[in-house]
Amino acid sequence: MSDLVQTTPVSSAVQRPRPKLVKMVSFGLGEKPTVAISVATGLAVAALWWLVAELDLVPNLFLPRPGEVLTQVGMLYYDGYAGASLSEHIFASLFRIVLAASIAIAAGIPLGLLMGLNRWAKGILDTPIEFYWPLPPLSYLPLMIIWLGIGETSKITLLVLAMFAPVCLSAQAGVRSLPIERVNAARSLGARPLELFIDIVLPSALPEILTGVRIAVGIGWGTLVAAELIASTRGIGFMIMSAAQFLATDVVFVGIGIIAICAFAFSAAIRFIEAVLVPWKGKL
Amino acid sequence: MLKVDHASVFFAARDGRPVHALDRVSFEIPESGFVVALGASGCGKSTLLNAIAGFLPLSDGAIILDGRPVRGPGADRGVVFQKDALLPWETVIDNVALGLKFAGVSKSERRARAHELLRLVGLGEFAKALPYELSGGMRQRVGIARALATEPDILLMDEPFGALDSLTREQMQELLISIWDRTAKRIFFITHSIEEALFLGTQVLVMSPRPGRVVARFDLDFVRRFAATGDARSIKSSPEFASLREEIRAILHSAEDLRSAA
Ligand SMILES: Nc1ncnc2c1ncn2[C@@H]1O[C@H](COP(=O)(O)OP(=O)(O)O)[C@@H](O)[C@H]1O
Ligand SMILES: [Mg+2]
Repeated sequence: MSDLVQTTPVSSAVQRPRPKLVKMVSFGLGEKPTVAISVATGLAVAALWWLVAELDLVPNLFLPRPGEVLTQVGMLYYDGYAGASLSEHIFASLFRIVLAASIAIAAGIPLGLLMGLNRWAKGILDTPIEFYWPLPPLSYLPLMIIWLGIGETSKITLLVLAMFAPVCLSAQAGVRSLPIERVNAARSLGARPLELFIDIVLPSALPEILTGVRIAVGIGWGTLVAAELIASTRGIGFMIMSAAQFLATDVVFVGIGIIAICAFAFSAAIRFIEAVLVPWKGKL
Repeated sequence: MLKVDHASVFFAARDGRPVHALDRVSFEIPESGFVVALGASGCGKSTLLNAIAGFLPLSDGAIILDGRPVRGPGADRGVVFQKDALLPWETVIDNVALGLKFAGVSKSERRARAHELLRLVGLGEFAKALPYELSGGMRQRVGIARALATEPDILLMDEPFGALDSLTREQMQELLISIWDRTAKRIFFITHSIEEALFLGTQVLVMSPRPGRVVARFDLDFVRRFAATGDARSIKSSPEFASLREEIRAILHSAEDLRSAA
């Protein structure tokens, strides 16, 4: 008995094992890593593609070989496509979506917050937003072209409209979920209306706003490519459409791949911003 | 002096019938007074505190702070909430400094003062932590430090220790008494614990529900005795303390019986 009492502290002092680090058990997926699984799935799909193409299970016109697509990337890079270099096509698309997203975010956040706070703003702005938001953007693209011409303005306006609504609606939802104690605490600490808005309302709504931005960027890519398919001479969407008309399936594949990479990079960037700005999300 | 004068509150309930939450409550908090409102849940304690804080207008009556009627929230009344209302994106020290920021104090100065207050509540080492990294009791202490930072004339506390374990709760009570004793602030404190009310208050208002009324008042000096001696055990085990505890328990039970009979 006395042995036990004496040896326990001694052994733990001499050889202290590295402590096991733990976290709160979260519900659902939580923070368990999924990257390895996703990478493995991607490799499996690529392998399947290679196999199906090599064995000629599908005609080459429908499914080019991976090698051909890679070669096509190089050729497009050096020779360009339809009178513009590959980077010009990519830049044209990125320019449109980045500019439109900036405008939609810059307008959507303040207007959404205002609509969450003010009866008049809500009443007035609800009418146009609720009317146009459920429409598929492509249904009013012809109207944009009649009004604003075939140039950049109509495409960017279309994109702004498509991306504005989710940002604006999420900012409103952010205000609605603001706990009243937080507001009351700030007011009893002497916050004036503008400080309440900037220091309390805006950061409280930030998690929901970032979710809205993610949705908006997703919608943005879909709308962008569709708009470029219909009315454009530059851009990845145009490249895909034009290549399809010449049955250049490998170019279509390259275009789709570029869009996938861009969209993935955007959503990774937003996730990174989320991790930096709202590390407390879901914890309090 | 804070004067609550025949304060009544009727809430507009959803079915249109008014809910009588507070019925002509009157009391005063003198300089360095520690007034505790005690009662079961639903007897209008939070309603009363929200009215004093300026979050809720009265249906009738008046609340006068140092000669001026209360019209809205202000930095002259610091509030500590039942559920801590810290900003989850700010560090502990910036949470404490929030009121100073609104008052236009420079960043370095408000950091210095916030640090002082954090040491006062025993959280000097946690200045850089985010609120979700703290325990409930620690968050509540941050809430107290934050309310003290703007040097309010009066502290309003809505069951601040209600969610704490009894050991932490006693530590927090003693911490609060030492702050009260040192700063001579007026405190309005809400609790549903008879022991807590007796131990802390210079005056205890016993409330009964439906409508919320003050049914008894006790002027006490246990808190001054504790501030002088620091001996909580002998105070809480004194026959005086025990007999008051039983007396108040009887009042609360008869209020409850009246309600269920009605
Ligand atoms: N916003 C409200 N609308 C309607 N009734 C309310 C509201 N807030 C509180 N009440 C009612 O007022 C009474 C007192 O509530 P409250 O002050 O929260 O009690 P306590 O804090 O003592 O538990 C309760 O009957 C409650 O249902
Ligand atoms: Mg309450």
